[in-house]
Amino acid sequence: MKKVLLGFALSILTIVSVLAQSKTITGRVTSAEEPEGVPGASVVVKGTTQGTITNLDGSYSISVPQDATVLVFSFVGYLTKEMPIGSSNVINVVMDTDVKVLNEVVVTGYGTQERREITGSVTSISSEDIENLVTPSFESQLAGRAPGVQVTTPSGILGARPIIRIRGVNSLTSSASPLIIIDGVPVVDDDRSSVNASNPLANINPSDIQSYEVLKDGSATAIYGSRAANGVILISTKRGSSGKAKVSYSTVMGFNEEVSRFELLNGDQFVEIANEKRTNVNAATLANPGVNTDWQDIVFRKGFTQQHNVSIAGGSEATKYFFSLGFTDQESPIVANDLTRYSFRANIDHSISKKVRIGNSLSYSLTEINGLNNGANSLSGAIYNATRSLPNVPVYDEANTAFDGFNVTANGATTGFGTNLAGPDNNIPNIGFVLKNNIYRSRAHRLLGAAYGEVDIITGLTAKTQIGIDLTMADDFQSLDPRHGDGRSSNGSVFMAYNPVFRWNWQNTLNYQTVIGDDHNINVTAGLEYQFTNYYNFTASGTDFSDNFYRFRNLISGSYNNQFSGGGYAEQGFDSYFGRFNYSFKGKYLASFTVRNDGISDLIGDNKRGTFFGGSVGWRVSDEAFFNSELISDLKFRASYAEVGNTGIGTFAAFGGFSPVLGGAGAGIGYARVANGALQWETSKKFNIGLDMTIGRVTFSADYFNNDVDGLILAAPTPPSLGVPGNSINQNVGTMVNSGLELRAFANVINRGAFSWNTDFNITFIQNEVTNLVQPLTGTYNRTEVGGPIAQLYGFKWAGVNPANGNVLYYSGENIVQLVGASAWRAYDPANPGVTTNAGTSPTQFFLGNTLPKWQGGWSNTFKFGNFDAEIFTRFSGGNYIMNESLRGLMGLGFSNNHASILNRWTESGQVTDVPRLYSGRDSNTWLTSAANSRFVEKGDFVRIQNIVVGYSVPSAVLQSAFNGAIGNARFFAQVQNPFTFTNYSGLDPESNQFSGQLSFGVDWNVAPVIRTYTLGLNVGF
Amino acid sequence: MSKYSIKNFKLIAAGLAMMGAISSCDVTELTPANLIPDQEAFATAARINSAVLGVYESAQRGFYAGAVQRGYPFGAANVEQGDMRGEDMYNDQLFYEITYVGTYNPNTANNNGMWISLYRMINRANIVLENLDPALANGVLTQAQRDQFRGEMLFLRALAHHELLVHFARPYSDSPSSPGVPYRTFAINDVPKVPEGEAVGRGTVAEGYTQLMADLNEAETLLPTGNALRASKGAAIALKSRVKLHMEDWAGVVAEFDKIKGSYAVTPNPATPFRTATSSDNIFSFVNTEASNAGVNGALASMYGNPNKGARGLVKISPLIWTANFWLKEDTRRALTTQSTAGVYTDKYIDPVTYTDPNVILRFAEVVLNASEANAELGNLDAAVTLLNSVRSRALPASIPAFTAAGLGGKSGVLTAIYQERRIEFLAEGRRWADIHRLAGAGVIPGVPAKATSRSITSIDYYTGAKAIPTDHSIPYTSHLFIWPIPLEEIQTNSTAPIEQNPGY
Repeated sequence: MKKVLLGFALSILTIVSVLAQSKTITGRVTSAEEPEGVPGASVVVKGTTQGTITNLDGSYSISVPQDATVLVFSFVGYLTKEMPIGSSNVINVVMDTDVKVLNEVVVTGYGTQERREITGSVTSISSEDIENLVTPSFESQLAGRAPGVQVTTPSGILGARPIIRIRGVNSLTSSASPLIIIDGVPVVDDDRSSVNASNPLANINPSDIQSYEVLKDGSATAIYGSRAANGVILISTKRGSSGKAKVSYSTVMGFNEEVSRFELLNGDQFVEIANEKRTNVNAATLANPGVNTDWQDIVFRKGFTQQHNVSIAGGSEATKYFFSLGFTDQESPIVANDLTRYSFRANIDHSISKKVRIGNSLSYSLTEINGLNNGANSLSGAIYNATRSLPNVPVYDEANTAFDGFNVTANGATTGFGTNLAGPDNNIPNIGFVLKNNIYRSRAHRLLGAAYGEVDIITGLTAKTQIGIDLTMADDFQSLDPRHGDGRSSNGSVFMAYNPVFRWNWQNTLNYQTVIGDDHNINVTAGLEYQFTNYYNFTASGTDFSDNFYRFRNLISGSYNNQFSGGGYAEQGFDSYFGRFNYSFKGKYLASFTVRNDGISDLIGDNKRGTFFGGSVGWRVSDEAFFNSELISDLKFRASYAEVGNTGIGTFAAFGGFSPVLGGAGAGIGYARVANGALQWETSKKFNIGLDMTIGRVTFSADYFNNDVDGLILAAPTPPSLGVPGNSINQNVGTMVNSGLELRAFANVINRGAFSWNTDFNITFIQNEVTNLVQPLTGTYNRTEVGGPIAQLYGFKWAGVNPANGNVLYYSGENIVQLVGASAWRAYDPANPGVTTNAGTSPTQFFLGNTLPKWQGGWSNTFKFGNFDAEIFTRFSGGNYIMNESLRGLMGLGFSNNHASILNRWTESGQVTDVPRLYSGRDSNTWLTSAANSRFVEKGDFVRIQNIVVGYSVPSAVLQSAFNGAIGNARFFAQVQNPFTFTNYSGLDPESNQFSGQLSFGVDWNVAPVIRTYTLGLNVGF
Repeated sequence: MSKYSIKNFKLIAAGLAMMGAISSCDVTELTPANLIPDQEAFATAARINSAVLGVYESAQRGFYAGAVQRGYPFGAANVEQGDMRGEDMYNDQLFYEITYVGTYNPNTANNNGMWISLYRMINRANIVLENLDPALANGVLTQAQRDQFRGEMLFLRALAHHELLVHFARPYSDSPSSPGVPYRTFAINDVPKVPEGEAVGRGTVAEGYTQLMADLNEAETLLPTGNALRASKGAAIALKSRVKLHMEDWAGVVAEFDKIKGSYAVTPNPATPFRTATSSDNIFSFVNTEASNAGVNGALASMYGNPNKGARGLVKISPLIWTANFWLKEDTRRALTTQSTAGVYTDKYIDPVTYTDPNVILRFAEVVLNASEANAELGNLDAAVTLLNSVRSRALPASIPAFTAAGLGGKSGVLTAIYQERRIEFLAEGRRWADIHRLAGAGVIPGVPAKATSRSITSIDYYTGAKAIPTDHSIPYTSHLFIWPIPLEEIQTNSTAPIEQNPGY
């Protein structure tokens, strides 16, 4: 197919030369990928417009002026090469692949398309740059690699899923995550664990991935119709090619550490502060000097990490295969958290005859995650606990053998008091004991596969059918110690669950392509698709154990007094009919039109079905006769418009009724959801214009997009006093616009002898505005209102500390008020700050900043010098604000440890500070903890050095002599991920985020610090 | 040529096979496995009974901060919040700090949790109420079944509204014309009913009491007698006695007592109502079971129990009442407690592992003391003291003489003794706030009394008199903090007719 298309390209791209010629040079252009010849490559005399393109076998013949000195060879997907014209009349060229520019053929929905003919907005990412990095799942490494694709890893817990947003947030309460398709099969993207964060994409071995295609605009995604609103990521796994079997082995080993820790009070400072809080309210002091403990030492560690991958690829003309085995074992810097994955893949393609092909993609993986309780507000939550445990109390008490030598009170209720008169607030347990004894394990067996058959019916007409399955068999095990911590109250608890999900997907497509009258290239695809997904689960648990002995490996019958069980079931189905028409006239005028009709089981009656369409046009100006620029070698304009939908609306979103409820008085039914049969699809109207341009060595692309989301499905809030279940009803009640600009430039900056430097820069500017909404949506920290972006921080406005008396000051409307006593608000007069008797009103709430970044991007620089290579990858983002809830929590006024900055508290008249006088127990009004607070709102701008990699490839001559040809290539490398971040944000990391939903966002609240990884690695090819 | 036609035949066969498979492939006509549609929920008597049980469930396990947890409103939280607003139970931890020290605001979780979970329960009750008469007309229910279910729903609806009025509105005893709480008597179970529901305003306190008395009067006539685990005629009467006490309808309180004085009896052992769920003293309780309870963060045994017995012990008995001289040393109710070096804990709730203690809502002892107080207010001092003694003397040895009206020094002395007896008898049952509410409204007390300073009672020494008890956190009746704020969420999400906030918030 490729050859046909290129032949066609050849016929239209020939540049006619009319100048006098006096010398003919011939030769062949080849590459490692296409040793039989690179067809369609351009050959131009440098400094002129004279040129030709290569034939199907890569050969060319060109007449050059006598004074010509250099020939320039170029082709999409390869680095441009300049060859001096010497005395010889034959110049053969071996082109090098340009890994930055993508393969000439791009995977699109239900087919492929040549990059140069694409009129939608598609970004491709080759896996080469990222496959050696150590992350639990592939998507965190896509961050910054493609314009318009935002990937945030919000915490350092292995298994926590990154947040992926393509061109912004495109839904309020429905899913905002892209559709992910692996080898043509839309995969299940639901976390199936109930005890851990268990990212389903962590089941995929990143090393098996060949390339990523991100479909961003309406036209590119329209073929996915109702599922396209949040963009689509197409993943192609590696496949074999004919030739001798190639065996590859790669390994990476190193360690993970936390990027940063909290700065806390030491034991002595704590005693001073804790007693001052009490004295200020005339209460007896509780703290006495003891030891100096940093409880963070108990929670953090250096985590060992390793991965190994072996693959075999090869095949004959008829049968091609790729097999791989992968293993990774990663320990998080948080004690007790690790992830292990074993994976296997077999991809086979076979041609039965010239016209009939079959094949499959099949992978199996076993992923095991050991997690922990890291609830932001959980007493045993590792970060919450370690930052609040009293620092004047020791972790261990060797004599306390009943609690394994940990410092715990005799009744197990809390951490030992040490010299204090009271235990820590909320009786928090000794986190060392908890992390050592409680188990949170989730496992997932995942089988992901597709089998296809393809028949060429007549020339140009191909029928294909593909059946894909995605089966996850996930199970959970949670075991809590009866002596201390979360399991104490139930005298030990074991919870187990089996949470499978099964999906089948059946696609049938007909593709017809032809060339009419040499100039009209037509490519038509029609198809139908069915998909069914079944989620079900059951759980069993026991509490009140006869003996701790039975608790560690499974539920053991008879070892517990109380037993519980549960279960659930949900299913979802689609049927779809779709078609696409691509047209190209001489490669200059390009057009594409797509239509899709989808039905979904989640909606009711006629609203089940929706029709979505998209279209795009392109114009390759540089192919026009009038276009005659020496500077610009390629220039294409694109425009697209589409209306697509969002199906992430929740299973049976439109249905209502009564769900089972188990009350003390008996099993009953309770009104669970208000039905809304009128519920319809969310529709995104996506508009995009863009251009692709090559100027000399620099390739540049730009896209402007505008995505108008209509009929947003919203769990629209109702006043609580109506008693409506969940205080919300699913309704289509809003509109929102995302618009922005994406820019990308890449270039081979230097290519001189042994040294080369490639650079690739992208930046995206994005703006979100809610244009219609039934009413403002207010959460604890965020508020979404018409005219502003989604999820702005909303809360109280800090006005400082009254220097006269240390009272905290806030804005109440325009006025400043001070907190007098526990809960009285009095007017503040800067002229008479000591006056506390004038009536005042309560502080009022304000918008405190947007939480969505307004700009973000990435910059990759790769260097080669002889056998050495290096990459520095930088990522940046900003224009957003963060609510540092972790810090507010650490300024608590109870009996627990504090952030070191509390030492700046007000102590004497006239003192100007940003920490008020400390009064025990007055948190809720001092810090106004029920909403965001501008004192803790900070800018989230950052520039992060994401990766630095340095590699050395052993010269093949050395390998040849040392291993006698047994080893074909070998590369050693050292890398550090996330080494530096430049930011003014005072928290641990500007990407820390407690919430992953759209309406609550931008809150850094006791999340585990993100991870820095140091590794050494080796890639060997046999 | 012949080969070509065979291939076509194969293609046609394959095509036909595919058409067959596709036509059998219907994946969009699915229905939920866990939702009974509205129109089928009242199709059988058994299902209607389930829907009634669903209302009990919402009372015992409502939503708190978006999840079913912590026993809101009547699984445990009514007791904890009711106690933490008073002075007789002491907060030893941050858990109830906001309620205890009075730093709640329109966003804080505990007060909002009560509002949200009570109204969720009310709407469930209203949905059942609207579907009962159609079911009766269709022959799905018998008249007797319909009457019982309707009576239960009306009782629960009244119980919920009274809890709302006590927390979010000024007392009837002070100003019946002050703003009440929205009282809806129709269900919100369809999109068009939302604006209709939003239009219901706060009304007045008097209107709220009128409606809940109407509900209870009808419930009384409909309900059969029964045990304490589901609403019965006795429960409706007992609740009327409580409501009338708040309305200062003294004669009414006595009349309600007279209706049931032959059916119930105070138990000689004060522990019995907490050990035997259907004792003669128990009129109505919400049942908790191993599988359905308020959990570790809500269950009374977990929060109030002694840590040495496996509980969390976040709330102790206050040394203020423990050291009060009106609570005699010989009183057997002092034995319904346990001690550690840190203080004194209630022993009314004893299952901190599976949290199965029922939440006792109405006891005959309360109806007796209600009647005692009403009689005293009516001037029937001897009757009042007799009733008072029937509760008090059972917990005292014979050596301690019973009260007499004269010995108590007349009406005010009798009333004081009754108020004190209620504090002892209902300690750790959440009744203290309701009494503070009505008595402060009536001018008997100046507001929320001073409490033992939060997080200060670190040892048993404060209970023995060895250490002076620090106090704080009193709230005058005139303060806006005396009643809880309307949740901000309530006002913000009502897009057509937001109700007014309590003044001062």
